[in-house]
Amino acid sequence: MNTEALVLGIDTGGTYTDGVLLEYYSRRVLAAHKSLTTKRDFSIGIEKVIEGIHIEDPAAIKMVSISTTLATNAIAEGKGKRVALLLIGYDPELITSFKFGERFATPNYHYFAGGHDVYGREKEPLDLPGILHKVQAIKNEVDAIAISSYFSPLNPEHENRVYGAVSRICDLPLVLGNQLSTKLGSVERATTAALNASLLAVLRDFVIAVRRAMERRQIDAPLMVVRGDGTLMSAEFAALTPVETIHSGPAASAIGGRFLSHLEDALVVDIGGTTTDIALIEAGQVRVGEEGATVGTYKTAVQAANLLSIAVGGDSHIGIGRDNKGLTIGPERVVPLALLAQQYPAVQQRLHTLSRRTWVQAAPEWLEYWLLLREPDEEVLGTPQEKALVSLLRRGPQPLPEIVKQLDLLHISQIGARELLRQEIVGRAGLTPTDLLHLEGRYTPWDAEASALAWRVFCRFQFKDEDELRRQVWVEMTKMIVQAIVTFLSGKEIRPPSLPDDADLGRWFFFNSLDPQHPNLETSIRLRQPLIGIGAPAGIFLPAVADSLHTELVLPDHHQVANAVGAIAGSVMVSEEILVYPHLSAGGVDVTGYYVQASDQRELFEEKAAALAHARQLSRERALGAALRAGADNPQVTLEEIADGLDTYRIRARAVGNPRLQETGSRE
Amino acid sequence: MERIDTTRAYELIREKITTLALAPGAPIDPQALAEELEMAVIPVQEALKLLAHEELVTITRRHGLYVSDVNIEDLDALSETRMPLEGLCARLAAERATADDLVVLEALCAETPTGSDGKELFALDHRFHQAIAAAAHNRYLARTLEQFFGLSQRLWFLALPHLDFLPTSVEEHITIVEAIKAGRGDEAERLMNEHVRAFYDNVRNVFPLTADS
Repeated sequence: MNTEALVLGIDTGGTYTDGVLLEYYSRRVLAAHKSLTTKRDFSIGIEKVIEGIHIEDPAAIKMVSISTTLATNAIAEGKGKRVALLLIGYDPELITSFKFGERFATPNYHYFAGGHDVYGREKEPLDLPGILHKVQAIKNEVDAIAISSYFSPLNPEHENRVYGAVSRICDLPLVLGNQLSTKLGSVERATTAALNASLLAVLRDFVIAVRRAMERRQIDAPLMVVRGDGTLMSAEFAALTPVETIHSGPAASAIGGRFLSHLEDALVVDIGGTTTDIALIEAGQVRVGEEGATVGTYKTAVQAANLLSIAVGGDSHIGIGRDNKGLTIGPERVVPLALLAQQYPAVQQRLHTLSRRTWVQAAPEWLEYWLLLREPDEEVLGTPQEKALVSLLRRGPQPLPEIVKQLDLLHISQIGARELLRQEIVGRAGLTPTDLLHLEGRYTPWDAEASALAWRVFCRFQFKDEDELRRQVWVEMTKMIVQAIVTFLSGKEIRPPSLPDDADLGRWFFFNSLDPQHPNLETSIRLRQPLIGIGAPAGIFLPAVADSLHTELVLPDHHQVANAVGAIAGSVMVSEEILVYPHLSAGGVDVTGYYVQASDQRELFEEKAAALAHARQLSRERALGAALRAGADNPQVTLEEIADGLDTYRIRARAVGNPRLQETGSRE
Repeated sequence: MERIDTTRAYELIREKITTLALAPGAPIDPQALAEELEMAVIPVQEALKLLAHEELVTITRRHGLYVSDVNIEDLDALSETRMPLEGLCARLAAERATADDLVVLEALCAETPTGSDGKELFALDHRFHQAIAAAAHNRYLARTLEQFFGLSQRLWFLALPHLDFLPTSVEEHITIVEAIKAGRGDEAERLMNEHVRAFYDNVRNVFPLTADS
């Protein structure tokens, strides 16, 4: 019998889509491939990766698993579907006075009477006619409806009744708050429901496109999607709870780092083109955040890995600080000049000319190029200036001052192409750490001469020595990453100096530790755990970081694609929460029993002990069943009991198992 | 759990069949259909199996797959089964409807359909029947009626170009709901029977026309 089980892991990141083919039991990576992410349609990049891996026998693949930034991107770019949010029993005055409305993730929210109190008692009768009237008025203007009622985790009756009634008068997809979160934070629950509703069609279409790409490559295997805490769920679960895929990329890279390094305790640092992500592995698990995940400005109730992401990576833009002093690295990501010149030879020519110009005529603005990434649809170009910009860039990438001149403007700030940049129709290119690696000869896939020319211009403008300034870039990057690590682990921030002559001991201690200056005092910061480096440039940027923290740097084999490995290395997890809370006498003074509240049923017990025992058993059974349906093999259940104030208990059963691989010959 | 792409393919193909975008009797090529829907072939095949179960698609050994035909015999068989069941449904609804059920029925009666293509009128009629079935609180009855409704839907779209009876049938909804609200089971049953019979009579009257064209 053939005991090999091939699995395919795919990670769609901000810059690259990575894929690995792995033998599941031996953890051997058989093949890996990187392809540029196609943000317009992620499935194009995914199909390219599958193609690039050269799978000999597609039928041998037993599972495909994907981590995706799709949900995070859709939220950040406002590309989710239109959602109406029905708030039942929420206090409009409270929401307005605390400006919670801005956090609901949709401007289309409406208040109705109803909701329950902290003991699960009806606060006021549900205004069902009012709700149906509103839905009929707005149903053609939205794509989905989210419903959140006050204290619905304690008593989802009103949400369920609204669901029953609204689903009979329209065909829009409906999302209930209590199905996504059993936490009591009413604003976070409403936000989570609204975001989930806006992402339903987005994730469904993604799953459909991925399955189509798989079929074209003759792969017929279960499809899994990574959650924000690194665990896996079936594509079908993901299509119902897309909001749970938030932050799944960074979580997957942390899990991949652990899987490849075999380390149970370590700090994982993933350096990509756009960002550097930091996560902690404790006892073999990615540490999960206590609070819900935050996306953009929205606080959700979604459980996600505790991680810190900073906008520094190999393709971060290197610029000159304010008043033409100092260096800036990031936060924006640009196309490295080496790559731009490789694709457009005219750029190298321009850089040659620039390097021969006088100092005054070779300001660093000339090193920033804009280019047309794709042909826009006609209706996108709103203003004549946008049209002029696009037709100028059709002739090839142009340096900023040239664009200003050609468009008859006075200053860069007048170009006004924010929308074209946001939609990735126009892209930016410039000097990046990747260019410095080219001129140092450490990483040279593209045009190293273009990088060298650009760096010469950049340094000459500041009267700086080229080697010295390059060293300064590396020191600065190391500092940014070390500072992020210290902030992440300590929970404390290094504030910018309030006075020019800074007298703060904490700051002094930190910077003296990175770059010892004091004649008498030696300070240092030591990280107890080893550092696992992930991502293509990790081997270049992280040795200095590990040195600064006096720890070992581990670069496991295939660390360049650890995120894709992480997409398959996670366990399948399902959690089921049941609340136990007191039932009060009519007067509201005596406790006469305890309710056991599951999502769809509620039972009353006289004794607390009996209620808790029932809740434990029920949550265990439900978690086990759900895990099996979600594709877990031999799931194990653990129980957790959390006191939630006011004599209320949250019983959480978690069923975790390895993903069940497809058995040979059992396709149907 | 059913695959999400199967569910989606089912929705899209069912819509094509019931609105006659896929004509009765037309052959179905799953490959081409998958291409058109920008989907994998497997979910399309699965969806076609589900539709075959509902008798909207016919699978034969010799001729492959095609959209099930509609004919006058079907119409008679459908109407004589559906009429008493819809009547029973209305009677049970009059006995069992909860306050929430009535709120839904009233909301549906208050709705004035817009759009002239008839699709929305039909969707409203469909929701009305579903809401009454839900108010009857008998899931077997609801499931059976849903299937009959799906089959009748195509008759209605066939007859649509020759008909203009629907606005009156929406008025009939209001009188049926009045009876249900008042708990008058006999009256609800009788009115519902008339409502459904009127529908089939209307369709039958124009059916030879559509069969010729």
